[in-house]
This record gives sequence, C-alpha cells and structure tokens, in this order.
Amino acid sequence: MKVRNLRELEPTGSRPAEFEVGVGHAPAHHGELVQGMFDDGSGRLCRALVTLPQRDRGSRAVFYPSQNHWGIVGTPELIKVRRAAILALREFTGHPSPAKGGQIEITSDVPRGVGMGSSTADVTATIRAVADYHGVSLSTEDVGRLAVLAECASDSIMIDDRVVLFAHREGVVLETFGHRLPPMIVVGCDTEPGGDGVDTLSFRPADYDDRELGAFQVMRAALRRAVATDDVALLGRVATASARINERFLPKPHLDFLLDLCRRHAGCGVQVAHSGTVAGLIFDARRPGVEDDVRDCVAAIEGRGLTLTAMISAEPAEANVKVTA
Amino acid sequence: MRIRTSFEEATEAYQIPKLIRLAPNLYAAAFTLMKMIPARHILKKAEAEGRIDPDTVIVETTSGTFGLALAMQAVHLDRRLILVSDPVIDERLYRRLTDLGAVVERVPAAAAAVTGGYQAARLERLAQVRAEHESTFCPEQYSNPDNPRAYATVAELMLECLGQVDCVVGPVGSGGSMCGTVSYLRSVLPECRAIGVDTHHSVLFGQPDGHRELRGMGMSLMPGNLDHTVFDEVHWGTAPSAYAATRQLHQRHGLFMGPTSGAAYQVARWWAQANPDALTVVMLPDEGYRYQDSVYDDEWLMAQGHLDAPLPPEPVQVDHPADPDGPWTTYGWARRTVAEVLAGERDPARVR
Repeated sequence: MKVRNLRELEPTGSRPAEFEVGVGHAPAHHGELVQGMFDDGSGRLCRALVTLPQRDRGSRAVFYPSQNHWGIVGTPELIKVRRAAILALREFTGHPSPAKGGQIEITSDVPRGVGMGSSTADVTATIRAVADYHGVSLSTEDVGRLAVLAECASDSIMIDDRVVLFAHREGVVLETFGHRLPPMIVVGCDTEPGGDGVDTLSFRPADYDDRELGAFQVMRAALRRAVATDDVALLGRVATASARINERFLPKPHLDFLLDLCRRHAGCGVQVAHSGTVAGLIFDARRPGVEDDVRDCVAAIEGRGLTLTAMISAEPAEANVKVTA
Repeated sequence: MRIRTSFEEATEAYQIPKLIRLAPNLYAAAFTLMKMIPARHILKKAEAEGRIDPDTVIVETTSGTFGLALAMQAVHLDRRLILVSDPVIDERLYRRLTDLGAVVERVPAAAAAVTGGYQAARLERLAQVRAEHESTFCPEQYSNPDNPRAYATVAELMLECLGQVDCVVGPVGSGGSMCGTVSYLRSVLPECRAIGVDTHHSVLFGQPDGHRELRGMGMSLMPGNLDHTVFDEVHWGTAPSAYAATRQLHQRHGLFMGPTSGAAYQVARWWAQANPDALTVVMLPDEGYRYQDSVYDDEWLMAQGHLDAPLPPEPVQVDHPADPDGPWTTYGWARRTVAEVLAGERDPARVR
C-alpha cells in the first residue's frame, strides 16, 4: 500500500527541483540462520532463508533525479542498482512529477563477496531512496518484491520488523516466526580472509537430497519454537544443522574449529553465510559470564588468523526504519 | 499468525500423533494408526512422481495395520488395492479392509507346513499378482527408504512442542518409525538417544528366530529399513509383561493403546525414572480396539495364563543380545551395526 507523505502536499516551487534528492538506508546481514527448501503452504517446495541482520553496517543510497539519463556512482555492482532504480521509478509512474532518470550514489561499509548482503543492501537502499524522493513509503514486502526483481535472489534485510522465512527467489514471506530474534550475541568472522569471496551471480543453487529436505522441515519447526519461546540454545542448534548441510555445497574452512570453540565456551551453535564466507558463533546473551566467553572466542578467532566481521548483540524489536531526506 | 485449518482428507488427520505428558519428564506420542504416516507418504509421493497411473493396481503383502493404512489412502487416490495376506489375519481387520474396497487374498493354510511358511507363500503370490496386471505399484514398507523419511513430520511435531528431546523409546518392526523419527530429530539434536523395544526370538537385533507370542513388533526376516546404528540401547520383553503394561497405561493414563505400545511404555517409564533430568518420548503406535477381546479381556488373559503377570521392576543387562537372561533384558547397542555387535566387541558404552 502506498502512503503519501506530507511533503507531497507542500506547494511546489518553494525549493528548486534539482535540490530535491531521495535518501535510503539498508542494513547488512551476517549470513543466515537457516537456508534450504521449504513447503510454501501449497505443497510446493521453495528455496528460502532466515537472514541474520547486522544493523551496525549498511548501505546508504542518494537519488539525484534528472530529466535526462541514468548514471550510477559509488558502487561496483552497477547492474543491480541500476535495475533497482529503474524498477522503483517505474513503480511510481503516474505519481506527481516523476523523474525520468537520475543518478544514484552509494556509500556502504558492507564487505563485498563474503555473504553479508552488500548487494541487497545497495539495492534496498536504492529502492528506498527513489521511494523517498517520490514521498512514498513502501511496505517491506513491496521493497522485497522489487529487490528480488532487481537481483533475481535477495535476502530479507528489508523486512526489518519481523523474523521471517523468506523465499529469496520469489520475494515472498513463507512464514513469520515472530517479531524479533531471541536475545543473543553473535561473534562473526570471515573464514577465508583474503580470499576471492563468492560470486553470488554465478553460484549454483544447492541440490538437496530427500533426507536434507526432511531435515529442513524439522528445522523450520524448531526455529518456530525457538523464536516463540526466546530459546537461543535451540536456535543455535538449528543454525548448526543448516551450517552442516551447507558443507556439501559451500564448505567453510575452519568450521570444525569454530564448532569446537563454540562448544568449549558454552555457545549455542554456529551460523554461516550459505552463499558467502562468513560464519558466526551464537551465544545466549542472558547467560551469566557470557561476556568472558565472547571475549575468549574473539581472541581465539583472531589467534587463528581469521578476520572478525561482526559483534551482533541482542537488541529489542526494532521499529520500521523511516527514511527521510 | 497461523490459524487452525481443517484436514484435506481423513488420512491426513489419522497420521498425526498426539503428544501427551505422562510424567514431568515423560511424554507419549500416541497414534491412532502410525502406519498411516509411511502409507500416505509413499503413495502420495508415487502419485506425484507419476508412478501410479489411473490404471495402476497397488499391491502389497501384509497382514497388519500397514495394509489398513494403504486401503484408506487408496480410497482417497481412487486406486485398486490388492493385499496378499494369510489365514491368520485378524477377522475384524479383514472386514474393514474389504469394506474399504481392498481385495484381500489369503494364501492357503497348507502353506504354513512348507519351507518358508506363510512369508514365502505370500511373496510368491505377490509376484503372481504383479505378473497378472499390466501396471502395479508395491510400497514395500520394509525396504522403501520413503518409509523412514515419512517420519520427518513426527520429529517436526516433537521439536515444535517440546524443543528438547533426550531420548525416544519405541517398538521396532520395519525400523521405519524409530529410525526415521530419531534420525530427523538428530539433525537438530545429535545427542538424542534411541531405545528400540523388541521381543525375544526376533531376528531384528541379533537373536535367533523363533515363536513370538507378541505380534506387531519383532520380525523373522531382517528389514532393509532397519538401520541398527541409530540405536543406543535395545530391550527385549515378553508378551505377558507387554499386556500388563498395556493395561497399566490404560488404567493410569486413560490411554487405550495396543500391546506394542505397552511394551514400549514399560521400557520408557523405567528409563525416564532412572534419568529424571532427561526428557523421554515414547512411541505408542496404535489403539486398543483390535485387542478388546484379548489384551483387554481378563478371561482371555487367564486362559493364556497371563492374568496378573508380574511386571519385572527393571531389565537384566546382558553381555550378548542372544543371552536368554530373563523376561526383560537389555543390551547397550551403542549405535553399532549387527556385524559389529555379533563380532563380540565389548560394548564401549556398557555402563551408562
């Protein structure tokens, strides 16, 4: 549903049009808690994932409208961002004073090619920037749908007010587990520091066998309970199960080291990026003494020569991110 | 948020177990007809994969509840079903099967005297039936890997309802329910224990074949679907104690189940009491209606010499599966193959 912003009602001409810009933000993520194939409710199996958001990193897009041509600066992922901007602009055709084109400027601190969602963050920020320029607030689902159109496959960082099982190729929410993840701390690292990263455009989708498909069904139920009951231990077990299945498709160096480290420091499990190189140790933030274990794990990870990528801590349910110029 | 919806068909409703708390750390997974799970899954999958045409005849050799489940699903699929059974098939089950439109063939009683007995005669007749029809589909519950895979749905229910499951206890026949449920639970809970409940003179866990009074668990032939490496511990019990435990389950908890459920309950209650910090789930495969004139009839029990049979308080630990050390024996299987166990290797996890 499109909601018109007050600014739209302001008399035009109060400011020169060329100074009007649109701004959008989007957070990064740290891979997934689960990725696999799940029943979409009609008996059809559908690729889907549960993203682990990382809100201290992200992309910012500024849209400078123009009546001439498109130009995009500040990002190597030109194709997707350009496609996202065009799709978003098309969405607002017929809206008062639409731009014909414009320029997108991306600023981002999301590492590329490690599975932290740099591309979706750029695309989502772009869609939000174009929407912002038009004074339109898009629903999270609409942003997700446009992001998938632009990217073919997108994670679900734009759905920032719920924990969802997101069909990343259809842009559809298969299930809402709850409003927020349980209180947890994730210590993340890049398992291939200095590597080439993963080219998500050419990465072949996993070919799961019948056993794995059954396991996903079980993991989905466990995740449902983990979110509903704030059970970090169960959530960690599900993440570990998904990480282990992923070993057949995109193995993580040092995974056994991380699993062992996690176990020795009373962690709950290890999550990975299923199309990237990052992995994270999951801890229950409520457990007394957890800070010491987290500190020891950070030291052990760095001691092994791996690069820290994240320190995600428990956070309360976050309201919809409102982006304004 | 989710709302409750209706079932698509009766078989969908029949397959779902009810999880019931029996003690603070003991839950029952009580089934109306557990075999509905593999029967429905196998037939629906075969249909989806185009292996069951409108003219395909479904055939299977069975004298138990798997045939009943197939017959119910065949009604929904609108397919013909031929079951090859033997003269000892329960008369009430026979009537129910034929009412569902299944053709039930009984091999002649004389077959019992020939080498291989009913089992061989049934397989021979099954082959004939398949040759007589152009297109047949045989679910093969004992070897079809879709049998254990069907139980992902049970593991799913246990995890969503309970979150943590430390031990699953259940009777073993084809191996499908225990191996399937536990394997899927272990995808999230790798340390979950599996305790198989068998009956003496069953070949499933290394005992020599012989006469078994208790039906519905234990086997004379080794089923392909039994993955021995799933099991941490195996128990063997007798018919009278299974009957007594079945009645206790009814009297104490109001659960009206069959005797294989009683056999599993006896073991599960003992294990749960011995391990108060662990959460145990016991599989109760079917209801008591078929046994109203036997297990639930005191006169019948007395005629069998089983009335008020004493329930052993605890099992006797044996050093070898075939050791005949008493009415209730147990062996630390420790997730090994039959070959490993029979090679005489000492059980490393003998002491719990």
